[in-house]
Amino acid sequence: MSGEILGAWIAVFLTLAIFSYLYKDNAFYKIAEHIFVGISAGYWTSMFFWTQIQPNLFGRLWPSKQYDADSFWYGIYDALSWINTSIFPAGGIDKGHEMHLIYLLPFALGIMMLLSVFDKLSWFARWGIAYTVGMAAGLRAYGYLNSNVIAQVRNSTLNFSDPDLPFFALIGNSYFNSILLLVGTISGLLYFYFSKEQKGVFGKVARVGIYFLMVSFGASFGFAVMGRISLLIGRFVDLITYNDAYYHHATIWVLILMVLALGYSAFKEKGSPKPS
Amino acid sequence: MFWKRTIPIAIVATVGFLTLFGWFVDEPHIKNFVEDDATQWYDILASFAIFLGALNLLKMQSQKILKKQTGWQYSIFAVGGFIFAIIAGFVIKGNDAIQWGAHVTGKGTLFKWMFEFMFTPLSATMFALLAFFVASASYRAFRIRNFEATLLLISGIIIMLGRVPIGIKISAWFVLYLTILGIGVVVNNAFKNKQITLGFVVGGLLLTTIAGFWMGWPVDQPALFYLPILQDWIYNIPNVAGARAIMMGIGLGIFATSMRYILGIEKSYIGE
Amino acid sequence: MNGILNFISRIGQLDRRWIFLIIALVVLIPLFFPLGLPIRATESTRLVWETVENLEPESKVLLSLEYGPSTKPELHPMVFALVRRLLKNDHKIYMTCLWPDGQFMAEDLIEKVIELEFPDKSYGEDYVLLGFRPGGEAVIKGIVSNIRKLYTVDARNLSVDEIPMMEAVNQFKDFDFLFSASAGFPGTVEWVQYASDPTGVPMSTGTTSIQVNEVMPYVQGGQVKGILAGMPGAAEYEALIGVPGIGTSGMDAQSIAHVVIVLFIIFGNVAYFVERKKAKKY
Repeated sequence: MSGEILGAWIAVFLTLAIFSYLYKDNAFYKIAEHIFVGISAGYWTSMFFWTQIQPNLFGRLWPSKQYDADSFWYGIYDALSWINTSIFPAGGIDKGHEMHLIYLLPFALGIMMLLSVFDKLSWFARWGIAYTVGMAAGLRAYGYLNSNVIAQVRNSTLNFSDPDLPFFALIGNSYFNSILLLVGTISGLLYFYFSKEQKGVFGKVARVGIYFLMVSFGASFGFAVMGRISLLIGRFVDLITYNDAYYHHATIWVLILMVLALGYSAFKEKGSPKPS
Repeated sequence: MFWKRTIPIAIVATVGFLTLFGWFVDEPHIKNFVEDDATQWYDILASFAIFLGALNLLKMQSQKILKKQTGWQYSIFAVGGFIFAIIAGFVIKGNDAIQWGAHVTGKGTLFKWMFEFMFTPLSATMFALLAFFVASASYRAFRIRNFEATLLLISGIIIMLGRVPIGIKISAWFVLYLTILGIGVVVNNAFKNKQITLGFVVGGLLLTTIAGFWMGWPVDQPALFYLPILQDWIYNIPNVAGARAIMMGIGLGIFATSMRYILGIEKSYIGE
Repeated sequence: MNGILNFISRIGQLDRRWIFLIIALVVLIPLFFPLGLPIRATESTRLVWETVENLEPESKVLLSLEYGPSTKPELHPMVFALVRRLLKNDHKIYMTCLWPDGQFMAEDLIEKVIELEFPDKSYGEDYVLLGFRPGGEAVIKGIVSNIRKLYTVDARNLSVDEIPMMEAVNQFKDFDFLFSASAGFPGTVEWVQYASDPTGVPMSTGTTSIQVNEVMPYVQGGQVKGILAGMPGAAEYEALIGVPGIGTSGMDAQSIAHVVIVLFIIFGNVAYFVERKKAKKY
C-alpha cells in the first residue's frame, strides 16, 4: 500500500501546486503545469496506441489466426516481436481479427503523418489529415443538418390539434410556451442574419431575438458557475480524503511546507532591490 | 504541387462524397466501406494524429532545453513527465497478472497509478481553478449596464439559485417583494415621478402582504415566483428558444463548411 | 453617508485574492458541517428517471462514458446512481467510452459500485466494459453499423465472441436504451446525431453543467429523454431513487457557494453604481 500513500502525497503536492497560482504565478505552479503537459502527452499516446493501433491495426495486419512462421510477412512480424514482445507477442496478435492487408494504407498514411515532424517532410501529414477532414465533413454535413436544423424546425412546430393542451402552464407543454419557443427561435435566428441591416420591423424582431439570446447566455453563465463550483467541491473532497491519518495527513503537511516556501520567497523578494 | 496540393484535395473530396453518400445510398459496397472500414481508418489516423502531437511537443520542449531558452528548466519536467508516462505505458507494467493492452486500466499497474495520482489531480485541479476566476469575474465584470445585461443577470441568478437546494427554501413571497421593488425602479425611470413610484411600490407591497396573510404564506406559492419552478420554466422555454436559435445557426454553419470542404472550396487544412 | 459610499467603493477595488479566499472557505466549510438541505427534482431529471423506470426487464442498456477526472465530480455521481438503479432493475449494462479517460471512470464504477454493492452480478453476463476506441463520431458510426467490427475484444482483452451477454448484439439497434454521460466532444451531441436520431433507439443523458445548454434543445424536442444536469442533476436523481450519494453530499457546499456568488454580483453592482454616481458628481 506504500505506492498508494506515496501517490497521495504526490497528488496533494500537484493539486496544491496548481492552486498556488491563485496567490501568484510561481515555480510550484510552473513545475506542475509542465508535468501536466508531459504526462498528458505520454498518457494520450499510450491510450491511443493500446486501444486502437495495437489491437485494430497491428491486430489486422498480423492476426494470430493466420500465423505462419515460414511466410515472409510473418517473418517481419517475428523480427518486430524480437524487438518488443509486449506489442508484438509471439505467434501473432490475438484480437479476434482476420488478416486485412488493406489496412496497410491507413498505416502508411499514419507513418507519413509521423514523418511530418521533420521540417522538410512537413507536407507528409496532409494526406492523412485530408482523410480525416473529408470523413468528418461527410459525417457532419448530414448529422448537423438532420439533428440540429431539420429536427429543430420540427420541434418548433405548433401543435393545435391537442384539445387538452392548456393555454398556459409553467411546467410542461402549453400554447403559450409553444408560441414563445417559436417566436424566440425565429427572432433569435433573425438576429444572426447579417446580410440585411437590422432596422425597421426586421430590426425590432431581431431585438426581441437578442433578449432570448441574453436569457440563454444568462442561463449558460449560471450553469458555468454551477459546474465550476462542483469541480472545486470534487477537489476539496479529495484533499480532505488525503488528509486522513492513513495517508499521514498529507494535505496539511504539504500545505504548510508550500506556504512556508512561498512566504520565504516573497520575503526574499521584498528584501532584494527591485530590478530597474 | 501535385503531391502537396492536388492529392489532399482529391482525398477530401472522395472520402467526403463517399461518407455523405453512405447516408443516402443503399449500395452495399459503399455502405460497407463507409460504415466499417472507413470509420476504422479514421480512428487509426486519429491515433496517429495524437502521436504526431506528442512528438511535436517533445520536439518543442527538447529544443527549449537544448537552446536554454527562458524557462528551460521547467521544460525538463515536461520531458520527464512524458518519459515517465511512456515508461508506464510501454515498459514497466507493474502487475504481471494483467496482459499488455489491458494494463492501461488494470488494477495495480504503474499506468493506472500514474493516472490516479498524477494525471487526475493535475487535470481536475486545472479545471477547478476556474471556479475562482468565475467568482472573481462575477464580482468585477457582471454589470447592469443596459436592459440586455439585466436580462442576462436575472436569468443567471434565477438559474443559480433555483437549481440548488437552497432555492427550495427561498419563499416565493420574498421573490415577489423583490420583484415589486425591481419594477419600482423601472416605473421610476419611466415616469420620473416620485409620487407614482411611491404609490406603485407601497401599493404593491401592501397588496402582496394582504395576499400573503390571506393565503397563509405558502413557501411555493404563487408558483410563478417560486425559484425552483420559475427556473424550470426559464430553463425549458425562453432559454431553449435562444439555445435552439444558436444550435440551428451553428448547424447551418457546419453544414455549409462541410460542403465547402467536400467541394474543395475550403482548403485551410493545407494552409490555404 | 459619504463614509458608507467610500467604504462600498473601496470594497469594489478589493484584491481578487480575498474573493478567492472567500470562495475556498464557503465551499470547504459546508463539507465539514453539512446542513442537509432538501432536494427537489426538476422536470428534466424526472424524465430520465421515468424513462429508466419504464424500461422492460432485462433491457440492454448502452452506457457511454465520455468524461475524465477533470469533470468527474459532476458526472461520476450520476453514473453511480444510474448504474445502481439499472442493476437493481436487472438490466444488462454495456459500457463504451469515447474518451480514453472514460475507461478509467468505468473501471472505478465497477470497483466501487458494481463489485461492492452487487456481488451477485457477474462480468460478461450482467455488465461488460467494451472500453475506449478513438475516433469520436466515427466510433459511434461504427457502433451503429457493426459493433463487433470495432470491438473484437473488451477492455480486459476478452474476446467479445466469448462474452455471453454479447450474444445477439451486433449493432446499435440491438440496444433498448442509451445513456451518454458526457463532458463535451465527442459526447451527447454526437450520439444524438449519429446514433439515436438515425435509428430511433431512445436515449437519455447526463452532462456537465456547461454542456447543458448545448443539449437542451434536443431534450425539449424529445430527441433526448431528459437530462441530468451537473452535480445538482445527480443529486436530484439520487433523491428520486432514494439512495443519497456523492451528489447529495456536495449540495450544501454548492448551495452556499451559489448564494455567495449572487451576493458578489449584487455587491459588485452596488459598488459600480456608487462609483458611477461619484464620477458624475465630479
